[in-house]
Amino acid sequence: MAYKIRIVATALASVSLAFPALADDEKVVVGFATAESGFMEAYDKPAQEAAMIRIEEINAAGGLLGKQIEVVKADTKSDRAEGAKAGLSVLDQGADLVVVSCDYDFGSPAALAAEDAGQVSFFLCAESVKAGIQGVGPHSFSASVLAPVQGATMAEWAFKEKGAKDFYRLLDTWTVYNKGICDGFDWMMPKLEAQGAKLVGEDTFKNEDASIAAQITRIKSLPKEPDAIMLCTMMPGAVSAIKQLRAAGINSMILNGSGVDGSYWLSAVPDLTNFYVPVQGSIYGDDPSADVNKFNTVYKEKTGAEPSSQYVYPGYVMIDVWAKAVERAGTTDADAVVAELEKMKDEPTLFGTRTFTPELHHQNRARYLIVETKAGKPGVVGEWTISEPVPMEAILK
Amino acid sequence: MSAVSSAPETQLTGDVIAARKPARFTLARKTIVTPVLLSLLLIAITLITVMTGSRPFNQTVIDVLVRVIFVVGLYIFIGNSGVLSFGHIGFTCLGAYAAAWLTINPIMKSSALPGLPDWLLQTRLIYWQAAILAALFAGVAALIFGKVLMRLSGIAASIATFAVLAMINTIYSNWDSVTGGTSSVVGIPIIRTIWPYLIGAVAAIFIAWAHAISRSGLALRAARDEPTAAAASGVDIPKERLVAFVVSGAVMGLGGALMAHSIGVVTPDTFYLSLTFITLSMLVVGGMGSLSGGVIGVVLLSALIQALRWMEGGVSLGDATFALPKGIQEIALGVIMIVILALRPSGLMGNREITLTRSKRNM
Amino acid sequence: MLQTLFDALSLGSLYALGALGIALIFGVMRLVNFAHGDVIAFCVFALLWPSTDAMAIVFAGQLPWYLLVPFVLLCGAGLSVLCEIVVFRRFRNANPATMMIASFALGFVIRYFLLMLYSSRPKSISLLPALSQPVEIFGARLPLLQLITIVATMAILIGLTLFLRQTRFGLEMRAAAENFSMARMLGVRANRVIMGAFALSGALAGAIALIFGSQTGTVDIQMGASIMLMAFIATVIGGLGSLGGAVLAGFLLGAASVVMQVALPVDARPFRDAFVYGAVILVLLFRPQGLIAARGTKERV
Repeated sequence: MAYKIRIVATALASVSLAFPALADDEKVVVGFATAESGFMEAYDKPAQEAAMIRIEEINAAGGLLGKQIEVVKADTKSDRAEGAKAGLSVLDQGADLVVVSCDYDFGSPAALAAEDAGQVSFFLCAESVKAGIQGVGPHSFSASVLAPVQGATMAEWAFKEKGAKDFYRLLDTWTVYNKGICDGFDWMMPKLEAQGAKLVGEDTFKNEDASIAAQITRIKSLPKEPDAIMLCTMMPGAVSAIKQLRAAGINSMILNGSGVDGSYWLSAVPDLTNFYVPVQGSIYGDDPSADVNKFNTVYKEKTGAEPSSQYVYPGYVMIDVWAKAVERAGTTDADAVVAELEKMKDEPTLFGTRTFTPELHHQNRARYLIVETKAGKPGVVGEWTISEPVPMEAILK
Repeated sequence: MSAVSSAPETQLTGDVIAARKPARFTLARKTIVTPVLLSLLLIAITLITVMTGSRPFNQTVIDVLVRVIFVVGLYIFIGNSGVLSFGHIGFTCLGAYAAAWLTINPIMKSSALPGLPDWLLQTRLIYWQAAILAALFAGVAALIFGKVLMRLSGIAASIATFAVLAMINTIYSNWDSVTGGTSSVVGIPIIRTIWPYLIGAVAAIFIAWAHAISRSGLALRAARDEPTAAAASGVDIPKERLVAFVVSGAVMGLGGALMAHSIGVVTPDTFYLSLTFITLSMLVVGGMGSLSGGVIGVVLLSALIQALRWMEGGVSLGDATFALPKGIQEIALGVIMIVILALRPSGLMGNREITLTRSKRNM
Repeated sequence: MLQTLFDALSLGSLYALGALGIALIFGVMRLVNFAHGDVIAFCVFALLWPSTDAMAIVFAGQLPWYLLVPFVLLCGAGLSVLCEIVVFRRFRNANPATMMIASFALGFVIRYFLLMLYSSRPKSISLLPALSQPVEIFGARLPLLQLITIVATMAILIGLTLFLRQTRFGLEMRAAAENFSMARMLGVRANRVIMGAFALSGALAGAIALIFGSQTGTVDIQMGASIMLMAFIATVIGGLGSLGGAVLAGFLLGAASVVMQVALPVDARPFRDAFVYGAVILVLLFRPQGLIAARGTKERV
């Protein structure tokens, strides 16, 4: 299946006009076709700052292939049609790497423009499998980890480490990201059920729902409060859902995707407890790796604030792996760089390892730190890597 | 209202029209100047774009041409019937997804959208064939919804059309196996040459013109201005509205298909409230009752957005670079729209059309 | 069962308050105010100090409740009256479509203004945290807030009814809602009545902001939009211009939404809104003038 898709994607790419790269030999150009205004800005900007930190580090160390990296930008205005224009605009300015929005839906128009022109594109932190070969083409990558890995990680960890038996699944149907978390959970669940776990119920809601009282009533009418609730949602609806769950007196463990990481919203649910989030690195200063804590300090010096969530980190990883591939290929030529990227297997980065293959430009397995929030205080309590990678069928669901 | 429909309709409708105009093709000859001038305007913009050779600008103008199709589509129903519709972007959504179903590579389709019927999974058409079918599909959907809704009028009709939009949006956002749910549908061939969009926009303008001077269009406008008199003269208002609804639904579907090809991905939330309001604003600012108003509204507001955006990006004045803060563009756009509407409550063109001689009321 | 009833009532309360805010303004000037949702968002944002950081800097939100509540209500009323004076006054004689688009443009301006000041990231705020505790009532365990929402809505509705029935101002407003030009001829001062309607509507937006803010703990630029849409629909199926109808329809919509969430099988639940809107179309087909048709708004043929 994956093989077929790759052929299709290659065919698609070769049909479209390949514009000659307007690269200047004196410098390497990284183009950011990301949101500088509108609602995506809040998600793109932190990761972009992290990417800039890595670019400055490389430039300070003598540049890439002996050339300085130059940055060009175009604003997508958090709009898809503008995204396509922004992509074309940075390409016209000679971008060798096109960096696009965090979210697949908003990043893909620019990524597709880069694919058309035969250039490498990187999603800042998209977590859908489409942000790569499957949804853009053979030159597209994502720097983050697939959403299903998060759902699977949380389910397995809660069962193995916390002894959770009865699971409840609550899905916010708003985005693919949310559905992805639950897809990973759904793939993991049968394995756990064979070992004694049980799915006691499921329900859906919408992120913008003013109230999830009806969904809560359904949980409360269960004979016994579930051990863990897999909550597949994201901001801003997540806060509302968590607050309402706790206000209704439901004290089960709440398992989440990485989307709710951060302490900026915790004031809304005072003394939140029994709440778990998987993260690629800790923003709370207690990461097991000293380098991560050092990065947090650098980030604060540069931007004036500490990282607000773990979604800062993929931006740094992105420039890191791309620059390594360029060094190894000895050129910024797209196909050569892609070939080098696809050779990466468990490539160490500051925030966990990265593997890219000709079938998947994304992570289907990753080491996650588990952050527990206890009495309103988040902190790392452990780490978990799922026992086997999430298979293609579950990812593509 | 429906009680009058059994009256000898053709003859009486003819009488109503006779009061307003001479024989039909005299009317056609007299009014064809308007669509021709509007088309020339779009052709001129396109030619300038092609000469600049800038790819981002090319994409910008493609966007403008797609919006022209939307606003002209809205005009066909709203302008002629006087009923404000919030639901037309729903037909755009139908058109865009139909284009996606018809043009995506079958192998990709069967993995991403396995719920499609077999014959559709096997089909792969060229984009313009798909666009025509998409328009027909949207038109048929408009016929079905219109059958039910056109009995309503005034604000009840507006809300009912909005309910249609919300239903289409909810269904397309959740029917995962057929529409891919909220996730983007990918693999739609991207067309970056500007000509197909120009042809689409010009075609929409001529369709709007042809409908406006047709028997049905004239009767509908008579009913808009003098509902009681028109109904008394045997104009079957729900029927004439339905005709306009179907034609405009089809044009919106065409626009949706072209929009899908201009970006290469479709999601249901692209076709929801913000697009609805932007296109409606363009129509109302231009002049709700005028085809020229719709087209000019799009061109002017788009030019304004672009100019503000350039200023946000920074304009060099001598040595100093002057840039507006990010986000000012939207605020300025809103303020300018309010000012235009306050000064000209019925839009820039009001009910008039542009002609060679001088602006005149209605066609 | 009882729990479901409370769920329906509390959601319906939000919609009813929203619908009332829209119906009040529609009554006096035939304006469907699309900026209403943004007034709601503005009221919540007014509790925070302008900053684009992820962490919200709570400002007025820390006030004790007896100051907080009037503050938010005043914010809403103030902004609403300001909108009237600066914008809507110029549209008194415009057709409804023009007014509607102008109100939409105004909402757009408010929204992007907030976006510039506060950035687009949803922020969190602990508003009236004491309300987030569960209480026991007739065997149903509900969040205290749900109860307060219902009680407060009832109080507002009763208060407003008394106000409209017992005071001279209320009488003028009702007269204006039924037949504006006639009321004017009989000596009702148009500006005063319209400003009064805007102030009331804005205060209602403030009330929604308070309830919504304490329920969700979130401050988001989009937060008024979904309530506004439902409220708008409620106003129409209730019978445009009819205040009682708007409230009734608001509660019905809330109930429909909750009942469908409970009754639909899990696979059909994501399609809940499609069923709700389908019901809206049905109601309109059978009662195009709304559930309670207001006198004076009928189209004369």
